[in-house]
Amino acid sequence: MLDWSQSPRRPTAVRRQQNLALVSAVITGGVVMAGLILLLLARVNPQTGAGVRAAAGDVVAPIWDVVRAPIDGSARVVGHIGDYFGAVSRADALAAELDKANARLRTARAQARELAQLKQLMAVREPSRQVVATARIAAATSGGVVRTAMLAAGLAQGVTRDLPVIGADGLIGRTIEAGSQSARVLLLTDAQSRVPVVVERTGQAGLAAGEGLPSLLLIDRIGPEVPLLAGDRIVTSGDGGVFPPGVLVGVVIDPAAAKPVIRLAANPLGASYVTVERAWLPIPDDAPQGPVFDAPVPVEARRRGAPPPRLRDAAPVPGSAAVLP
Amino acid sequence: MIASPPPPALLMTPVERRRWLLSLWRYAVPVIMCAGLVILMLAPLPLPVPAMPNLALMGVLAWVMLQPALMPPVLAFVVGALADLLFGLPLGVNATLFAVAAGSIRLLDLLIVDRSHLVDWFGVSLLILACTLATGPLLALAGRPLPVLPMLWQVLTSMIAWPLLLRACVAMQRRLARSAPRWSHG
Repeated sequence: MLDWSQSPRRPTAVRRQQNLALVSAVITGGVVMAGLILLLLARVNPQTGAGVRAAAGDVVAPIWDVVRAPIDGSARVVGHIGDYFGAVSRADALAAELDKANARLRTARAQARELAQLKQLMAVREPSRQVVATARIAAATSGGVVRTAMLAAGLAQGVTRDLPVIGADGLIGRTIEAGSQSARVLLLTDAQSRVPVVVERTGQAGLAAGEGLPSLLLIDRIGPEVPLLAGDRIVTSGDGGVFPPGVLVGVVIDPAAAKPVIRLAANPLGASYVTVERAWLPIPDDAPQGPVFDAPVPVEARRRGAPPPRLRDAAPVPGSAAVLP
Repeated sequence: MIASPPPPALLMTPVERRRWLLSLWRYAVPVIMCAGLVILMLAPLPLPVPAMPNLALMGVLAWVMLQPALMPPVLAFVVGALADLLFGLPLGVNATLFAVAAGSIRLLDLLIVDRSHLVDWFGVSLLILACTLATGPLLALAGRPLPVLPMLWQVLTSMIAWPLLLRACVAMQRRLARSAPRWSHG
């Protein structure tokens, strides 16, 4: 026999709790859906939230800029103490190195003079490097996902996107976002970083690729296949127009690997102060220069002396009708 | 408890209402602490490997365990979105993961009532590993696929740091409970 009698009513407190749990589950589901929609938006338009990100950077970068000052000071004191203990042996090594360097310098000076004369004869035109700003690396992500750093300089100091960031020891990365007082730098070690480089000794070109680890990989090598040696210096090639040529990226530490491993020359997290330079050869702006307002002139009209079609902003052709306002 | 329940609003005296308004900040302590942990993760540490623990996620998980009402998945989503903004990730990666992680802990609370500290530690470690592994597909969904291997350093350091962070959150909760305003009802 089935029992068709009405089930006992749940107490109010239990009902309330169950309803709250249901609402909470629905809200959680909605929140997760919102997150996935945001990700899809980011896929469609990678610049989604760039303004908010820049504003958040503007808030956090000055905080870390102030907070890390005493930390830097303490690290410097510890460094001085360490230097004191190794001073004598280091002085001997440096004296020997200085002798060798002086000999090389004399040769290099003569070669530089000769090169300058040749460039003058050939009328070579070279863009020059220009420093936009010198700033401190205020904060950096040390987690595993992305390797970016924040500079305490932004649009107000002339720092924009896609500018090379160079430390005292070598290349650090390039700017990818800029707020008014801060900028985000994509470090060389980030998995998305690719820098056109050449092996200084052989002239072989390639790409220095980050992989989220402290070292880089030398990939996509082109040119004569000269075996690499441990200690080969890897410098920027200047291809791509962002990084100036000749900036030290690192040295080869594992030349035998299929993808040779490069040790970074400059540690971005110990760099503290870095310079942001103007892009070496900025990519020409291929955005449309403005709509064409003048309609194509028919052949018959041209035969009667009508001017050729032109852009609104173009200089008026002498003797023709006035340009549209 | 971060603050004891106040008397009904209509029955409050002006002094009580003022005390109640001045004590409202206590409810925001978990979120503020998690936001602080996100900023702490930006410390430019000269680490040889990407080993900064995922303090923000652990903070969210700790507060979901200690004060579930003060760290609902919506607030976890907000903390995650802040992390996305500050870490330069596509908006939604950490936001989604933090919200799902907070929901998972709530589910765990329903399934296993009396858990030991070790079970908590094991569960949180698994959750952090799952979140880390899920980061790759989510980034790929946003059009930025990244290798997962370097992130395992972060999982390892997060597992080690969990007891310390939980202890810090418990200490914060105790401090807040000690200084909570007392209400004389009725």
